[in-house]
Amino acid sequence: MNNISQDLLKELKGNGADYFTSVPCKLLGDLINLLAEDQSILYTPVAREEEGLGLCAGAYLAGKTPVIVMQNTGIGTIITSLFSLGLFYNLPITMIVSHRGTPGEKIGTQVPMSNATMPLLDTVGIPYFAYSDPGDVKNVGRLVQHAQVAQRPVAALLDFDFWGKA
Amino acid sequence: MTYRRYELLKDLAPIMVDKALIVSNIGFPSQEVYDIQDSPKNFYMLGSMGLSSSIGLGLAQSLVNEDDPQTVISIDGDGSVLMNLGTLSTIGNYGPKNYILLLVDNGAYGSTGDQPTHTSGRTDLAGMARAAGIESVHVTHNEGTKAVLEQCMQTDGPHVIVAKVAPGSPKLKPIPMDPGYIRDRFKLAIK
Ligand SMILES: [Mg+2]
Repeated sequence: MNNISQDLLKELKGNGADYFTSVPCKLLGDLINLLAEDQSILYTPVAREEEGLGLCAGAYLAGKTPVIVMQNTGIGTIITSLFSLGLFYNLPITMIVSHRGTPGEKIGTQVPMSNATMPLLDTVGIPYFAYSDPGDVKNVGRLVQHAQVAQRPVAALLDFDFWGKA
Repeated sequence: MTYRRYELLKDLAPIMVDKALIVSNIGFPSQEVYDIQDSPKNFYMLGSMGLSSSIGLGLAQSLVNEDDPQTVISIDGDGSVLMNLGTLSTIGNYGPKNYILLLVDNGAYGSTGDQPTHTSGRTDLAGMARAAGIESVHVTHNEGTKAVLEQCMQTDGPHVIVAKVAPGSPKLKPIPMDPGYIRDRFKLAIK
């Protein structure tokens, strides 16, 4: 268990997050284990990112503050629903996204989607903020508040250095 | 009489509209629900095909720990559920007791011109729902759906009702409501 995952969950909860869903990534393993054990939140792992976005939408409508935890490759599968659900209904959903294919990556297939991740988010119109330093964990947690202000999905892109796994 | 989705929803409206929170599927299903009986407790999902079941699931999970939690009904379709099949496994493992998936199966992509879906062939969504871990799965026809829905609303779920209907829809207009209005009206109605 690395401390960055514990710190990140503490910051997200401290900023109001109380509903979580996830699709796995190796970088997110510790965080996902913590989510599964945490009795103070609602947590549902899902089979695909779009499903998670749907859950977050429902949770928000019911008054919860939702977070989806996912890998950047999932941005590719989630785009249509980011447009026609997340942005169309102005839903504040915090996206905690592991940014694979960044330096420290060992698997070559991760690189093309890695390069496309920011341009895709720019195209969709999702505000995103990239962090490479575990010292930024408070800034990541603050995005939960920022999503409420922005009234739309907001993404954190967290690379190998952020997770201390470079 | 053989029901289409419209006749089915008309039959069910008196027991579900205003009495449960409803998430209705993209396209004709939402238009039909709106035409039959609009309510602030209806969330019209105008995009994001496939996610009606997921939105309803997130809603139901978020409300289930309240005293006397409201029932959530996701009205979904065969083509839509086939587009988001993982949802059945998520409901099978994480579906709360106040959740009902009303899967209207007309064997067709109704909103795009009634192209056949695989449920008009060899695919059985009720069987898939059971295999995904959902215990309360019901297959209904025509006027038989109403009593089953009533029963499901009074008992602990999660429930899945596969209501078999004929394809086809009346000609209706798009819902004249802004998405932000649908959202805020629905949020306020939940409280
Ligand atoms: Mg259909």
